[in-house]
Amino acid sequence: MHQAISKQVLKAWLRDMMVSRTLRQAQGRLLIAPVAEAGMVMYRAVDKVEDIVFKFANTVLSPKEFFFPITDTLFTLRQKDGHPELVTPTMEKDAVLFGIRPCDALGLKIIDRPFLDEPADARYKERRERTTLVGLACSDACPECFCTSMGTAPDDAANVDIMLTENGEDYLVQAVTNKGKALLDGVALKEADTVSTSVVTPKKVPAENIGSAMLKAFDSLYWSRVADRCIHCNICSYVCPVCYCFDIRDYTSRGEVQRVRSWESCEAAGFTKLAGGADIRPNKGARMRQRFAHKLLYMDKQFGNLVGCTGCGRCVKYCPVNIDIREIINDVQKMAVEK
Amino acid sequence: MESLDKQIRDKARELLTSGAFACVMGYERATDGKTARPLFAYTPEEAERFVFDQYCTHNLARYLINWRDNKKSVGIVAKPCDTRAINLLINEKQIDRSKLYVIGVACQGIMEVGWGAPTEKLELRCNTCSEPNPVLHDLLVGEFKSESPAAAKAYADVAAIEGKSAEERDGFWQEHFSRCIRCYACRQSCVGCYCQECFVDELDPLWVGIKVAPAENTVWHTIRAFHLAGRCISCNECERVCPVDIPLSLLNRKLEKDGLELFQFQAGMDASVTPPFATFKKGEKLGTGD
Repeated sequence: MHQAISKQVLKAWLRDMMVSRTLRQAQGRLLIAPVAEAGMVMYRAVDKVEDIVFKFANTVLSPKEFFFPITDTLFTLRQKDGHPELVTPTMEKDAVLFGIRPCDALGLKIIDRPFLDEPADARYKERRERTTLVGLACSDACPECFCTSMGTAPDDAANVDIMLTENGEDYLVQAVTNKGKALLDGVALKEADTVSTSVVTPKKVPAENIGSAMLKAFDSLYWSRVADRCIHCNICSYVCPVCYCFDIRDYTSRGEVQRVRSWESCEAAGFTKLAGGADIRPNKGARMRQRFAHKLLYMDKQFGNLVGCTGCGRCVKYCPVNIDIREIINDVQKMAVEK
Repeated sequence: MESLDKQIRDKARELLTSGAFACVMGYERATDGKTARPLFAYTPEEAERFVFDQYCTHNLARYLINWRDNKKSVGIVAKPCDTRAINLLINEKQIDRSKLYVIGVACQGIMEVGWGAPTEKLELRCNTCSEPNPVLHDLLVGEFKSESPAAAKAYADVAAIEGKSAEERDGFWQEHFSRCIRCYACRQSCVGCYCQECFVDELDPLWVGIKVAPAENTVWHTIRAFHLAGRCISCNECERVCPVDIPLSLLNRKLEKDGLELFQFQAGMDASVTPPFATFKKGEKLGTGD
């Protein structure tokens, strides 16, 4: 039998999360959920369940921004009684990320490797450990998405703690992990009478053995030709649930130092500029190839059996000049066959 | 009359066959099968992919700077607003007119587009357009318009912001700037933003820190707007590409409006006219008062 939660109970449960329920969660939890903002849907910290958007395709930015924020203060160094004091920020309370899509949950699973492999990134690790992921299965495929070609699916529960799937007036509930079960503790679930969830079929992309195909296409003039129209903005990297490049600088003021980390992109000119002025990837073609090679080849080489793309399709949708990773995967496979 | 596509393809093929041209820039169909994307044709065969319709939104003049040092000439398909951008680059001595062939398109207006989402809604820049014919061209395609559309409504939205109190304006912009993710797509899509090193990337002096926060974001957008004062040709690409929908055209057109009112100047209309901020006249009053 399938467990289900009524929409009314779901809202009450979400409301309840934000307030104190147990001694351990005396402060309640930080609830992050999709909300409407200036005509877009974004994940934001909410304080009213009424603000949450339950029906949406996907958000502009992926929820990676809550684990690897666009700007993060890693630590503050200051003087205290004549001695240096290092203050590292921590989360005020545990968090629940509600409404994460399976593609974005896979994205977190992928960047767990660079961030959690030892030595682990302390800021990322804390946020991952103290956040419960409540997934929301897709009830429609976006025209740009291709998740089933990249190792996940519109109803994939593998990378979340709890999975919800819309089923008429209810949501089907799968408690996937112990963290998920704990969050559901005491919630009035019921048995689903019938199961009538929508069948979602995203478009397919020929991603099998894309790594070896990339190797064959590596030296092609193709990359600089695609780069011709690239304007080298950072949109693709910033909307991507996997891209995890960053820049670090120190802010100094009044005897205090803040070490700040912000997103960066391999597409930006100067990203690989070194002290002394040398630039490893000075031209547009080299930078263009880097982004796709990192996703389709290097991640697999470095971590084993890993592709750095989840098929969410955001880069396809938001690229101002239509650089389309699905077209690139197709072209790379063709080049590999021809070679 | 022959279709725009055919006229553009014929001319591009001719240019590329001549051997004097490195490439011709125009538009081809995007992967959604509906909208358009930039195409760089290097061979006569590639020229067969050119299309032109109401979804050819990109300002291709943005790419001309990349060809500045090329020995050969380049061809470009340019809408009226794009030709103003070309004039800007000629005026600022960034490109050599003699190595440029402009296929000017007298356009019918461009519709708002997103990938896979063409609309029938005219873009803001077309609604406020005062020059529907190319101001510069070697070949003109499309129907030349003898009448310019009334530009009276051009600054209605700007005037509405001007009418607000300082606090309201600050609140309005803080709300929008707080959403900025500093991807710099606005700069990267801009014809006028061709600096070898942008102030925002400079480390010494450090003008703007890397924190993505309201203060830093405000500095970024304000300084960028001032750097474009008297230079922005209102193609509005920055606003189109912004992934978080910041209404940048309000900033740019406020400065354009001031330029018109104070100096009767509009950027890019004529490459031989020196812009107000590039001149100093004896006896000129400093400041904008009285």
